[in-house]
Amino acid sequence: MSPIGVDEWVARSGDRRQQHSGPLGALSRAYARVNWWQRLLVLAALGVAFGQIGANGFQQIVAFNSVLYAILAVGLNIVVGWAGLLDLGYIAFFGIGAYGYAMFSSHALGSLLTMTGGAELPTIAAVPIVLVFAGLVGMVIGLISLRLGGDYLAIVTLFFGLAFFEFVNNVDQTNLGGNNGIIALLPWHGFGGEIRSTIGYYYVVLIILILLMAALHLLNESRTGRAWRAVRDDELAAEVMTVPVNAVKVMAFSFGAMVAALAGTVFAAQQGNVFPTNFQSPILILIYACLVLGGVGSIGGAVLGGLAVTIVQQMLGSPTDEGYLFYGIILLALFWKVRPWQYLAATLAAIVGFGFAAHAIAGAISRSAIAGPTGSVGWIGSALRHWVVVPVNGETYGNILFVVVVCALIGIIRLRGIVRLVAVVPTIYFAACCWESRLSVDPAITAEIMIGGILVVMMAVRPHGILGTRRVEIV
Amino acid sequence: MKVFRYLVAAAGVIALASVTVFAGTSAAHNATVAKACNASIAIEAPLTGPVAQLGLEQLAGAKAAVGAYNKADGVHVTLGQDDTQLTPALAVTKTAAIISSNAVAIVGPSGSQEVLAVGPALTTAGLAAISGSATNVTLTTNGADKTFFRVVATDGVQGPQDANYILKHEKPKAVLIIEDEEAYSTGLGGTIQQILTAAGVTVNVQSFNGQDTGATLANDLSSIVASQLNAAETVTVMPIQEAADAQQFAEDAKQAGKTTLVFGTDGTDSSSQFFFPGSLVSNFAPDIATVNSKLDKTVTKQIKAAGTYGPFGVPSYVAAAVEVNAIASVCKAGKTPSRSNVLAAIRKTNLPANANPMGQVIKFKADGDLTTSQFYLFKINASGKYIQISTK
Amino acid sequence: MQIFIQTLVNGLTTGSLYALIALGYTMVYGVLKLLNFAHGDLFMVGAFIGYFAIGWFGGPTALTIPVPLLVIIMLVIASLGVGGLGVAIERFAYRPLRNAPRIAPLITALGISFVLENAVLLFFGGLTRYYNTPAFIPFSISIHIDGVSIGIVNIIIFAGSIILMLGLTALVNRTVLGKSMRAVASDREAAEMLGINVDRTIAMTFFIGSALAGAAGVMYGLYANQVANLIGFLAGLKAFTAAVVGGIGSIPGAMIGGMFIGLCESFSLSYISTRYGDLFVFAILIAVMLVRPTGIFGQAPLQKV
Repeated sequence: MSPIGVDEWVARSGDRRQQHSGPLGALSRAYARVNWWQRLLVLAALGVAFGQIGANGFQQIVAFNSVLYAILAVGLNIVVGWAGLLDLGYIAFFGIGAYGYAMFSSHALGSLLTMTGGAELPTIAAVPIVLVFAGLVGMVIGLISLRLGGDYLAIVTLFFGLAFFEFVNNVDQTNLGGNNGIIALLPWHGFGGEIRSTIGYYYVVLIILILLMAALHLLNESRTGRAWRAVRDDELAAEVMTVPVNAVKVMAFSFGAMVAALAGTVFAAQQGNVFPTNFQSPILILIYACLVLGGVGSIGGAVLGGLAVTIVQQMLGSPTDEGYLFYGIILLALFWKVRPWQYLAATLAAIVGFGFAAHAIAGAISRSAIAGPTGSVGWIGSALRHWVVVPVNGETYGNILFVVVVCALIGIIRLRGIVRLVAVVPTIYFAACCWESRLSVDPAITAEIMIGGILVVMMAVRPHGILGTRRVEIV
Repeated sequence: MKVFRYLVAAAGVIALASVTVFAGTSAAHNATVAKACNASIAIEAPLTGPVAQLGLEQLAGAKAAVGAYNKADGVHVTLGQDDTQLTPALAVTKTAAIISSNAVAIVGPSGSQEVLAVGPALTTAGLAAISGSATNVTLTTNGADKTFFRVVATDGVQGPQDANYILKHEKPKAVLIIEDEEAYSTGLGGTIQQILTAAGVTVNVQSFNGQDTGATLANDLSSIVASQLNAAETVTVMPIQEAADAQQFAEDAKQAGKTTLVFGTDGTDSSSQFFFPGSLVSNFAPDIATVNSKLDKTVTKQIKAAGTYGPFGVPSYVAAAVEVNAIASVCKAGKTPSRSNVLAAIRKTNLPANANPMGQVIKFKADGDLTTSQFYLFKINASGKYIQISTK
Repeated sequence: MQIFIQTLVNGLTTGSLYALIALGYTMVYGVLKLLNFAHGDLFMVGAFIGYFAIGWFGGPTALTIPVPLLVIIMLVIASLGVGGLGVAIERFAYRPLRNAPRIAPLITALGISFVLENAVLLFFGGLTRYYNTPAFIPFSISIHIDGVSIGIVNIIIFAGSIILMLGLTALVNRTVLGKSMRAVASDREAAEMLGINVDRTIAMTFFIGSALAGAAGVMYGLYANQVANLIGFLAGLKAFTAAVVGGIGSIPGAMIGGMFIGLCESFSLSYISTRYGDLFVFAILIAVMLVRPTGIFGQAPLQKV
């Protein structure tokens, strides 16, 4: 129940007064004592340190992607979190940055390059031009937002995003590359050197992120930041208080666009190419997930979300890690939710016992009912071999179990107390059986289902994100 | 405060996740402890997303081949899966993961765009990649990827064959080409258009958004039928990837009372989805489920047991088989499989036509294409079955 | 002239399908202010249920029951099934977010969309399933105007959507349930204080909206024949667009919006270009939004000061 009529500061006073004891409390007090720029320096130091340990190619790319998505989430935060404008076409600005950079840095294009004298521009000139262009486009979109509100703006920005993809894919094959994209781009170069390796680009995005966080923090604390928050909370009141609402909104779009375009230029340089399919809805959904899971309205939240979502997504891409994540989440949920520890121990014991009993019964009924291979390989698979019931042709069995588990989960929500714990035991066992017999056989599809499930659960548990602040409805 | 508890928990989860990702990346593709001939390969395909069916068929084909040839050659090769969703950026990341692991060869990538994107990385790593579906002609001619092979013929073979057949047998005055705005389609469509135009035929090129589904797709196709298909266009070429779209177009044309011969390319070869009587389909391999030879029956059974059977499964089967054979030959020579010697072994592949379900000799040229490649032509008869006809 | 009529027919049919889905969208939005991006996937589930229903009764070429009965059974089963699924989703995923910031349910809806699409992929594979309607509803059953044949399926869809829209309007304006829906849409806390069971009203709203989506799925399957696990994404997008362009929260608006978009698409594709048709549709819609910022039938929300 939202506290009606209470303002934000008062609503969070309870949080402020709560003091934690022990090491967690000491840590939180130390955190609160440290200045924002000191925290930023620590983050920068961690980032640089990571770059120094000998990471292999894959780890470098994951690190680069995480920081890139952090930058994108921070940029989106300006538009959605601070100014409160729902921008569903954000991916188009990312694409504008990438394609803009590509047009100025490619050997492979047609007549457009004669505009630049036939020579590719040096990075120090190309990137600012692209940024300015993106800022102008952002301003135009921002002007549209003055006329429309809320969800209507969402639709128009969505069109813009889709139109960008169509435009780049279909219009003008010679200059924009069409389906086949633009390949063989020049890397970022200047001052006699050039950046060719992924780790080099990782440092570039790290520097960009730190500088961006610092700049945006300062901006947030300034009049502009206060103006943005005022417009987000109550536009009419802000206007009455002489906040230039229109200028503020357009500026938010513009800034967000420039941040995305900057990310786009680095992305294009690191990949060495641009393809239209790199700028479609799945990426937009990912950026939004980063921002919302991390906490809308908070820079730290956006960065945390960017890092977390990218890393979890990579984890889900590898089948063994997926298994760890699946079982890990189940155990984590049990540990978090079941208190006191006696109940927890009893539940775990019951699950194990139920499993062995079911395995024995199924084996007694029919040998082929337990003869199927477990999907997980390695030590998890061998450990669970004698615990789960996996028949030889487990596909239909697994499908049915999946539906049963989902229904059971829905049912569990409606139960309370000890009955809930009793229902949890077979549910978890069936979930494990379903995993071994069906879900881990198709790890790529299961990864997508798990991503969806994680989004739903995270939003149900903590709707304002990890570092977001609860906003209070003022009636 | 509560926020802080969540923050620490989140940091802990990220740390744990990072440790597992960064420490355990090789776990995904690890071979078992080196005893007998152990190695691992990986398949890069779009296992989810708009073309998931293609990826799943390729996965089933590769799994079946690895299982069968492990037994036949007496080796132990494991197959890792990587989902690229046909997005080049994702393909780059997954390829980096594969390069960082122990895999000695790749089946894939499936899309021409992806090959363009990951080519340089593969060359630097010296990792062989055999694709069963990337048919863009420039992939082997642009020199960007020196370790890329493919077991299917390129658009440069299919396009001229189809166009010449149309010119010789149908002798149309005008032809309608319908593309789906994807790279495969525009490349093939362009080749066919050039040949037809050079022969004096009026070519009308239309395209619809291949990612459209549902009512929008129905609208696209029926609009093309209503406004573009005229009586002179007796042949409609559809170089698209979704067979059901070809069927829908054919039925829309029939409903509007217009007659045209629908000519589909390899993307439309699917007897359960495109079965409009009288149509023609070209493909790089016959649908082996309908062929009676013992080899084809065995292979069909193996693929069906490994997953879903479809036309894209067969080339991936052959690609995986080539890789397992290469690994086996390296082991037989007494060496441990590594990327360089597996690459060298692949270059020496010589699989006779009767030993593989594609029905042609599998031997690679220096640039990675097959030495001989042919396309088959099928006509759909009145009951919807594909009958092979001569391409002459 | 023939092209014009054919384009008109195509546009109206497509538009009716969009309108059906948009009706469910707009109902849910009106009551909960929630943009349910998973709505399109409910449509997809409905289409699949219809496909399997055909299979239960012998398959497209060997039906064991008469065709009108089959169509009615398909519609009923799909509506009930998808309606139930919608209620479950609301209970499980959206209810905890009643008081959350507006953007949280957006992400939840995206999550549910992922789960539905990929669960269907897991269970049934990625192969496009074919209704094969011409096998049991032949093209010969149609009206002929000036050389253009309007199939009975087109007529069913168009008539069906108008009937459903009128029924829905009657429901909202004349029944007690409709009154409680309007009350909850207007001010949820006040409605609760007045004794209206908000939870039950919202569940019923979801049920009706999802049932409409399910029925739309079956009709779409009959018209366009192809069902695959990703048809919902684009359908949901178009429906969202239709609902917004027509004025979100307004039922006749959803209908008009859907028709408008269907016709726009049709005429752009036929008369302008199939390659750039989409871009033109976007341009037209943006222009409409700029001229009428709250949609064609929408009302500007009252701002409380």
